[in-house]
Amino acid sequence: MVFNSYTFLAFFAVILVLHHLPLTWTTKKVNLLLASYIFYAAWNPPFILLLWLSTVVDFYVGKALYTQENPHKKKLLLVVSLIGNLGMLIFFKYGTFLLDNFVLMVNAMGLDYHPAKPNIILPAGISFYTFTTLCYTIDMYYKKSEPVKSMLDFSLFVTFFPHLVAGPIVRPPQLVPQFESPRTATQKQMMDGLFLLSLGLFMKVVLADGMLAGTADTIFGTKDWLPAMDAWAGVLAFSGQIFFDFAGYSTCAIGVALCLGFVLPQNFNYPYAAIGFSDFWRRWHITLSAWLRDYLYIPLGGNRHGVRRMYFALMITMLLGGLWHGANWTFVVWGGLHGLYLWVEKFFRDKRAAHTGESLRATKPWLGFFYAFLTFMLVNITWVFFRSSTFEKAWQMLQAMFGMGMECKPELTSLALLKVAIVIPAMLITHWFMRNTKVLDVAHQLSWWKLGLVWSTLLLLLIWAQESSSSFIYFQF
Amino acid sequence: MPENTLKKAALLTAGIVVFALIALEISLRLQGIKIAYDDGPSLWSHHRDMVYESKEKTVVFIGSSRMKYDLDIPTWRENTNCHAVQLAIEGSSPRLVLEDLANDLNFKGRLVLDATEGLFFSNRGNKRPNENIKYYHARTPAQQSSFELNRILESQFVFLDKDNFSLNARLDALEIPSRPGVFMMPIFPSDFNQNTFDRQMYMTDRFERDTNLQNQVSGIWKLFGKMAQGAPPMPDDELNAIFQSTKVDIDKIKARGGEVLFLRPPSSGPALMGEKMGFPREKYWDRLLAYTGCPGIHYADYPAMDHFICPEDSHLKRPDAAVFTAQIIQILEQEKGWKLH
Repeated sequence: MVFNSYTFLAFFAVILVLHHLPLTWTTKKVNLLLASYIFYAAWNPPFILLLWLSTVVDFYVGKALYTQENPHKKKLLLVVSLIGNLGMLIFFKYGTFLLDNFVLMVNAMGLDYHPAKPNIILPAGISFYTFTTLCYTIDMYYKKSEPVKSMLDFSLFVTFFPHLVAGPIVRPPQLVPQFESPRTATQKQMMDGLFLLSLGLFMKVVLADGMLAGTADTIFGTKDWLPAMDAWAGVLAFSGQIFFDFAGYSTCAIGVALCLGFVLPQNFNYPYAAIGFSDFWRRWHITLSAWLRDYLYIPLGGNRHGVRRMYFALMITMLLGGLWHGANWTFVVWGGLHGLYLWVEKFFRDKRAAHTGESLRATKPWLGFFYAFLTFMLVNITWVFFRSSTFEKAWQMLQAMFGMGMECKPELTSLALLKVAIVIPAMLITHWFMRNTKVLDVAHQLSWWKLGLVWSTLLLLLIWAQESSSSFIYFQF
Repeated sequence: MPENTLKKAALLTAGIVVFALIALEISLRLQGIKIAYDDGPSLWSHHRDMVYESKEKTVVFIGSSRMKYDLDIPTWRENTNCHAVQLAIEGSSPRLVLEDLANDLNFKGRLVLDATEGLFFSNRGNKRPNENIKYYHARTPAQQSSFELNRILESQFVFLDKDNFSLNARLDALEIPSRPGVFMMPIFPSDFNQNTFDRQMYMTDRFERDTNLQNQVSGIWKLFGKMAQGAPPMPDDELNAIFQSTKVDIDKIKARGGEVLFLRPPSSGPALMGEKMGFPREKYWDRLLAYTGCPGIHYADYPAMDHFICPEDSHLKRPDAAVFTAQIIQILEQEKGWKLH
């Protein structure tokens, strides 16, 4: 189920009541686990079997990995876990993509091969929970943390409903210890959690779905050539939509967990105020960036084996990070462009550091804002590939954005343009002024009546929007 | 911030939200506005699920807005023992829904097809049939339970009317002048499009009285008519393909024991004149019945139905819809041999 639905609100109310009843901690954990399975089964009940399989295999393999001293057997166990987890991901997420590319390749070689199209349904959140379980077994292999003692705690770690479908991607040490001792939310945590849930729903329902999704869909859905203004408005709308949609989800997830007394890691930190691309990836989908850094970039050599190897590791990480988002070459190009940006940034930073001994830093606020704006505009170019379903559409969009469209036909109404013209600058300004703060810290600094006014405005706009419970963009990844 | 301050903020929030919603609800009710339901994919899917009831107990209606306005479901309910399942979608051709039902091996029932020519024989229309069909086949248990909860709320609160009172509906209602060359969908007055849980659409009493509102909607039909006139005529092979695909779908339903009947609802004034010129009866209606081998009811063939004046030229007001529906029931039973009791 999605957070922005009546079903979730009813479900969450029941969970809150159950969690605050005078029951034993084990009973409360069983309740949370059952609730998490119901939360997941509300999409497509059969896929719960995959979740169970992944949980059981990784619990026992993880334990064996930690205790196994024979290096060959240990490697074999790791391979079993990787095949189990990645095999499932590859089959469900990349099966059709791989087959299509294989057919293209053999056809290019002159073989006439046209197999039937497989009808594979992507289980919700498979990319997220696969990464959650993978990091556990890899940690066990390297003995980075202790194996989880109880199957109940491990199942809850994998399945805990706030993070299950679209993150934040949690590591065992971040969540498992929280299951070991009884916890319920303090009154402050409860209020903070409810505020974050309201804010997250506002971001998703009012801003992403209500203000921006229609414009992005119109522009990326049209086959006509567009004037530059329409093309830019569509891309800017998408950059806002994907932020409000995904950061909205993460904010809801963190808020929901907090209402139950659990703390999930931060996933977004005003990414459109990033100065440069390494800063962007420290602020955008933070838990995925950290996962890719720790389990891909560093094992590939990181910066420990010279500059060339570092550039290679960086690019591979970004390309695979792109592919993680979707089974389409457009996602790979999106990742590749980010890799390229990081290369260029790294090159100039290193060059400057070599000359002056200082790293690249914006000394004046206006210069910082200029760099942040430049970063945002370059990120927008990458979103074109992320949102376009084909390269043809992406090229058409890019040409339109730079005024190279032919026989252009304007698509957007004045109202659609107005929404983008208000929401996107407001988002950028908010990100810039909030870039070194946390939303809860700012909320706590407000007087009670000011916070009440802000909170009620969010809720009233949320109710007024009356947007249907549309899915979150990242559920498809 | 101390816990107590947060609690005070939360209480203030709850107070403001409850007060604002009660004030809004009272103000809308004082304006005489009634409960309406969002006619989105979830409501359509709820009714789509009912097509599997036994053939003797159900008649399924597909088409465009005329079917939704002109079939008065309370009258149908009073005069038959059958359930009317309304699956018509305004501004669209029923052919996509027909295809969906034809390809559904479990559908073996009775089907009435609205053959309003301008939409039936169009390959454009809006995206809603596709969206609804897709939603129906992919809907999750969570979406179904959200629908049930939403139904309870919508049945209690007037302000929960997405088409007329949501944030975007109010922004659209500002009718900010659009850029040259950009088509802006005209806004229908809220008194024209009220939607019941049975998916019947109706005009309010105010609309039936207010000629300004009627002229506003009539003007929208004229605009659409002008746009259609500007489009190139449909090539013969494209028209033939429509006849063929319709027959293929109907034959599938008939082969499973289902029955299909065409219905041409009334229109009047300039809309009727335009339809007579653009869609001559012998080229469309008569050919459709002959080609598909289906029975049909054309309002103009029955003196009891050929005199309706549509307030905005295209749809019946509710009292006329009741008369029209009673006549249809009578014709279905007495002339077409459908058992509805």
